[in-house]
Order: sequence, then structure tokens, then C-alpha cells
Amino acid sequence: MVGIKKHNLTKFLIVAGVLSFFYLPILSLMVFSFNDSRSLTSWSGFSLQWYKALFENREMMTAITTTITIALISTFVATVMGTLAAIGISKSRRIIKELVLSVNSFPILNPEIVTAIGLMLLYSSLNIEKGFLTMLLAHIIFSTPYVILSVLPRLRRLDPDIAEAALDLGATPLQALWKVIVPMITPGIVSGALIAFTMSFDDFVISYFVSGNGVKNISILVYTMSKRINPTINALSTILVVIITIVLLVVNLYPFITKKELKEAE
Amino acid sequence: MKGYASLVKPYIFWMSLFIVVPMLLIVLYAFTEHGNALMAFRFTLDNFLKFFDPVFIKVLFKSLEVAIITTLFCILIGYPIAYIISNTSERIQTLLILLITLPMWINMLVRTYAWISILSDGGILNSIFEFLGLPPIKMMYTDFAVMLGMVYNFLPFMIISIYTVLAKLDKALIHASHDLGANPVQTFLRIVLPLSMPGVISGITLVFLPAVSTFVIPKFLGGGQYMLIGNLIENQFITVGEWNFGSAISLIMAMIIMGSMILTRKIDRDASDTKNVEGGKAW
Amino acid sequence: MKKFSMLILALAFMLAGCNSETKTLKVFNWGVYMDASLIDEFEEEYNIRVVYDEFDSNESMYTKLMSGEKYDVIVPSDYMVQRLIEENLLQKIDKDVVSLDDVLPNVLNKSFDPNNDYSAPYFWGNVGILYDTTKVDVSDLEAGWDILLNVKYKGDIYFYDSERDAFLVALKALGYSANSKDDAQLNKAFDWLTQLNTTMEPIYVTDDVIDNMIAGNKAIAIVYSGDAAYILDENEDMAYYVPEAGTNLWVDSMVIPANAENPDLANAWIAFMLSEDAQSRNTIEVGYSTVHKTVYEFMISDEGDYAGNEAYAVRTDYDKDEIFKYDQELKVKMSDLWLKIKAQ
Repeated sequence: MVGIKKHNLTKFLIVAGVLSFFYLPILSLMVFSFNDSRSLTSWSGFSLQWYKALFENREMMTAITTTITIALISTFVATVMGTLAAIGISKSRRIIKELVLSVNSFPILNPEIVTAIGLMLLYSSLNIEKGFLTMLLAHIIFSTPYVILSVLPRLRRLDPDIAEAALDLGATPLQALWKVIVPMITPGIVSGALIAFTMSFDDFVISYFVSGNGVKNISILVYTMSKRINPTINALSTILVVIITIVLLVVNLYPFITKKELKEAE
Repeated sequence: MKGYASLVKPYIFWMSLFIVVPMLLIVLYAFTEHGNALMAFRFTLDNFLKFFDPVFIKVLFKSLEVAIITTLFCILIGYPIAYIISNTSERIQTLLILLITLPMWINMLVRTYAWISILSDGGILNSIFEFLGLPPIKMMYTDFAVMLGMVYNFLPFMIISIYTVLAKLDKALIHASHDLGANPVQTFLRIVLPLSMPGVISGITLVFLPAVSTFVIPKFLGGGQYMLIGNLIENQFITVGEWNFGSAISLIMAMIIMGSMILTRKIDRDASDTKNVEGGKAW
Repeated sequence: MKKFSMLILALAFMLAGCNSETKTLKVFNWGVYMDASLIDEFEEEYNIRVVYDEFDSNESMYTKLMSGEKYDVIVPSDYMVQRLIEENLLQKIDKDVVSLDDVLPNVLNKSFDPNNDYSAPYFWGNVGILYDTTKVDVSDLEAGWDILLNVKYKGDIYFYDSERDAFLVALKALGYSANSKDDAQLNKAFDWLTQLNTTMEPIYVTDDVIDNMIAGNKAIAIVYSGDAAYILDENEDMAYYVPEAGTNLWVDSMVIPANAENPDLANAWIAFMLSEDAQSRNTIEVGYSTVHKTVYEFMISDEGDYAGNEAYAVRTDYDKDEIFKYDQELKVKMSDLWLKIKAQ
């Protein structure tokens, strides 16, 4: 019994060790966002001044709005376009399927910096002025492949006869698409959309190379601001961490809550 | 059903313009001279030849070295963690996986930035050392700092990749192995390890690729003189303005990465025979 | 689902539309080089929006300009102003709007723009050695720039991540001109920098040197005098030294690109920035030496914010101090060598 207990203790310590490694920087970020002085290393007292500074900083607020807007729009477009493309791919001939999926995988397999400079060269050659739209476009471009790869497996498992049956029963192709196919692949669409949103929200490298005109997202802003000690970055980070934690908790506890409600309803 | 196939056409057009053309542009710039303006396209191998200077080759090797070491550490730390987690109860598994993925959702820049205040000379760790009466250690702007930053950022990917495969492992196989007289070590080496390889391979893919090409982590934690190949490319495009040389370097890097991907896929395919490893890979 | 997507699209168009209603002035400046309240004030006074972008080196500023970005006002350094003028990338300043009467005479009519047709000075200074008096032996400073090769300070040096400034230090240490085009001299400078790199393990920084030296993280740093002035203010242990071998004298100026979309607003901005109030607030916030006569006199006087600050009152009549000149050939050589240094 002692041997097993020791074994369990080691396991526990290893996991605890790695988890502390993960959370130490995040905690230090959060703690010092409440620091009374401008230091990130010595504590002088509790203060909300950096949160106040965050909301008064026009550049930061604009960057946050830009990030969210681009994430929402690019996710929407990438999801729609990716889902439709996936449906098309799944019904295409083998050759087309292979070709499309190969090219589709380039943005995924390529290092981000390569995709980024490719787009930068494209915009430059076409003489397109860089700014909000170029960043948005870039986000749609690199998100769509992930949506496709997320939806495709679901489509593969789909019974090919069901849509056929719907058409036989008088549905238009559009109705069959919207009312039969899409509901059956919704989990794939949703997870694809989530991936697209995260990739867009967190993106740095690609955004850095394709934006201009003073348009910045959160990542670019942190990059440029990090040269000087600036606890407003900590404040922003803390807010992000809190929001993410809440969202993840809700998403993961939701099944348990609904299960409980169903149980109680019985 | 044929009607639906035409849904792919718009995307083919989209991909040609926005994925294929940019790649072709990189190739074009790599093989031509000073072509910021759309004229005077002279084909040349100068950009590639320029790269074969010992100084730049050294940068390439350093990047590969750093990436390989990072990947190794991720495997050495990530595998045991994934293994331990996969052997706990289901509820604890969900909790632990949640705790591990949460940092991944936080912006990478923010996470790397956090380490600056921890590792710097007057930073948190050194303050703790001072408090304990230990001498201060120079951690910031060193190889150590950069690799720490890399492992920190990429370890979750490795853990999740390996865990996904381990969790789906048929426990019956392990029981069968025990029944047939194998001890835990043998069971691990002969059954678990080989079957988990797809997870390790996909983990390597998720770690090595960004590790080789990153420029943010070396810039934040290594200082301006710490140049990896990603920094070199960024420097050429953003600071120096030599897009042709920069494109050539990118091509070289892309070739190397593609080569190592093909190699890893081949190892994976040879090792896993006819098994359906759909569940093991990330896609 | 449909309603939701309509909402998103409407929001997007609103946001996109918002920006194009008010006039915008696009300013491209060095990082940490402006009192932000001045931007707000200008916006309010002229009822416009300022898009304020930052760069950390002349070279990256030039690259961004070449990639097609249009700006109304940029703030390059001396040699870069010369380059932009020679390449016909600037338009003349409107002297009816911008008056240079209050500008210090020693920053006007310099070789890069003899009549100040294209440029209006913004900040000025030189490059020198910032050192920690508690860690550095003053006698070691007599070596001048070569203190950077003194192994006593190995691992304790911040070097500025700037092509021209790096070669300035190396060339001056070897007794050559900072504008030397001589291959032999440039190669010797390259060797000097290589020696620095390999034996002293310097850390290359830009604006991050400020907070690091305020915290006293290293003993020596090569900095612009303005950063030194700011740091001296915040950390009593720090001091500033300029070698006898000479250094440079730099002037950062406001210029208007030829393709600026709002040249009228650009001129207004420049005039605004040169006003006594703006110069005063800016120099206090940023720490760099002001170009305004009255403000400068005040700052170095006993009641001024920078009384006794040896990094603020920059020496101006030392014959070994040079202004950077731009030369196409030199640029190519230096860029190549610098890249090799960084990649080592």
C-alpha cells in the first residue's frame, strides 16, 4: 500500500508541477495588474488605476474593437464559405477532392510567417492599401481551411441517401441543404467556427504583416507596447483570462447542469 | 447530388487567388532581383547564393537546433503528463485537460510577455532568490529564456496530441497483456508506446513547425541579437526591405519544413501498417 | 441566425463608415517620442482624427514607406531626411504656416537640408555611454568607446539595435569618420563589432533599454542622449559620458512626404509641434532635448526640469562630432555588414 501511495504522490507532484509552470506567468500577470506602482516586479499596494487607464486609452479600446469585429466577421464568412466548400468537396470527383484538399492545407502546413509574407506580396502587387479590410480578408483566408477540415469528417459520415430522399420528396436543393444536410453536420460547423474565432482573435504574425493605416489588433498592440513597462497590458490580459475562464467553465458545465435539470424534472 | 459538387467552384477560385498566387509570388520574388516595382524582373539565383554564407547557415542550424530541443523537451515532459492524465478517472481527466487547454486560449504574445517580468534581472524569480539568500541568475536574453518560452507555448499541444490517442486506447489490450504475463514496463514498451506513436507524431508536427519559424518568442526573450530564421525573414521584410532575399529565405525554410513533415509522415506510415489512425491525428 | 448575421454586417459597415467621415492626419513617429495629450489637443482644436503610428528605426520607417503606406508627417533622422530629399519623396514645408524663428540655431541649416526647405527640427541630441556609477570604474571610461570591449563588463552591456549608430561607435572607436565609405575602414569596424559580439555578449535593445536601465539591470548602455536624460532623471546612480574620440550630433525632423493626402493639416501639425507650449510639454514627457530656444534655455537653467542633466545639455561645438550623411553605396555596404553582425 505504501508503494502505491508513494507512486500516486509522485504522479500528483508531477502534474501539479506542470500546472504551476503553466499558471505562474498568468498569475503574475494578473497580480501585478492590480499594482499601485508601475512595477511588474515589486508590489506596492492594491489599485485599479491600470484598469482605469485601460478604458481611457483610446488606442487600446480601438484595438479591442478591431480584434472583436474582425474575429466575428471573419468567423462568420469563413464558416459559411468553408461549410459550402466542404459540401462541394465531399460531392466532387476524387481528383478534384484531392487537389482542393492539398491546396487547402497550405495555410495550415505553412509556417505563419510564410502565409503572411505571401499575402503581403499579394497586396503590394495589386497595389491594395493595407488596413482594416486587408486584415479581415487575411483572417478569412487562413480560417476557412480549418472550417473545411472540421466539417468534412461529418460530411463523410453522412448517409448520402438522406439528401437524395429529401429531393425526391419535393425539396429544392437549397431546402435539402439547409434543412437536412446542415443540421446533421452542425457539430462540425460549430467546432469549425470556434477554431476560426480563436485563430482570428489570437492572431499576431499574419495580422502584423498585412495591416496598415494604423489599424491594430490586440496582439499587434501588445507587441508594440511591450517595449516599455506598461501594466495596462496586464489589465487587458487579466480581463481576457477572466472572460476565457468563464466561457470555458460555462461550456463545460452546461451539460452537467442540463442533465441535472432533466433529472429533477423526472 | 452532382449539383452540390459545383459548390466547390467558388472556393477553387478563392484559393487560386488567395492561396496559390501568394505562394507563386514568394517564388517569383525569390528568383528575381529587386522587384518592388512591377518592372525589371531579372531572373537570378543571387538571393539563394547570398544565403549560403556561413553566417546565415549558422542561423538556420541554430533555428533547427532550438526547435529540435524544444520538441524533445515537449515530448519528455508532455508524454508522462498525458500518460498520467489518461489513467485518472474520467471527471479528473476532464478537469485536468481543461486546466491544460485554458492557457492555450490566451494570446501567445501576452503569455510570452508575462515571462519578461519573471525572468528579468530584477524580476520575480530573482527577487525570490534574493529573499532566500541565493545569488541572482541571469535568465533573461539567454538561450534558456527562449527555449523556456517555446516549451511554455507549445507544451500544451504536445500533451493534448498524445493524450487524445492514449485516451482512446483500448484498455482491453492492456488487460490482455497483463493476463499474458507481461509486467507494467513491458506492457508499456510493447503495447502502449507503439500505439501512442501517432499522437507523438502529430504532437511533433504541432510543435516543431511553429518552433522553427517563430520570431516573437526570440525577440521578446532573447534580445535583438538573438536571430533565428523567423527573425531573419521578419528583419528582411520589415526593417531592411529586401523582399527578394527574404522570399528566398522563406522558400528555403518552407522546403526544409516540408521535407521534415514528409519524413515524419513516412516514419508514421511505416510504423503503423494498415491501422486506421484517423483518431490519432489532429485532423 | 439570419437576424444575427444581419446585425454583424450592419455593425461592420457602421464601423467602417465611421472612420471615413472625419478627416484624418496620419503621423509616423518614433516610439515613445510624444506626449499623447498633444495628439488629443490637436484633434480637438482641428476637429480631426490623428492616426498615430510608430517605428523603431529609420530603416523600418523607410521600408514601410516603400511598401505603399501613405503618411502626412514623418519624423526621420538627419541622414534619412537627406535620403528622402535625394529620392524626391518629400514636399516642401509651407513657410507661411511653419515658422522656424524660435528654433535653436545650432539645429538649423544642417547639411542634410541646408535651408530647411523640407524639414522642421523635432528633437536633437547625440549618442553616448550611459553607465551605472556604482558598477563602472570611472577610469575605465578613459578608453572611450573601447570600454565596450573591456571584458570586465562582459555580459553587462546594452547596445543599441541600430545600423548607423552601431557603426558610429565602431568607426569612432577606431578613429575614423562616422561617414567613412572606405572599405578597409568599414571592414575594421565590422571586426570591432564582431569582437564586441563574441567577447562581450551584449544585448541589443531599442526602447526597452529605458526601463531596464532605470531598474539598473546592466552596467553600461549605448543610448541616445534623450533616453539618457530621462533615465538620469529616474535613477540617481546613472551618469552619461561622451568619449573624446567624438560621437555624432543628430537631429530628428518633421517632414511631409510627397504623396501626403493632407499637406495643409500636416503643416498645421508641424507648426503646432513647434509652439512653445507643445515643445515644453513634449520635452518634459519624453526627456529628449527640445529645439525651441526659450524652452531649452529654461530647461537647462536652475529652475528647469533638466538642470544639471549632462545628457540633456548636449555638447554642440566639438569638432569630432559629426552629422550622419546618407550615401547609397555606403548604405548597401553597411546594411550587409550589419546583417552579418546580427546573425552571428
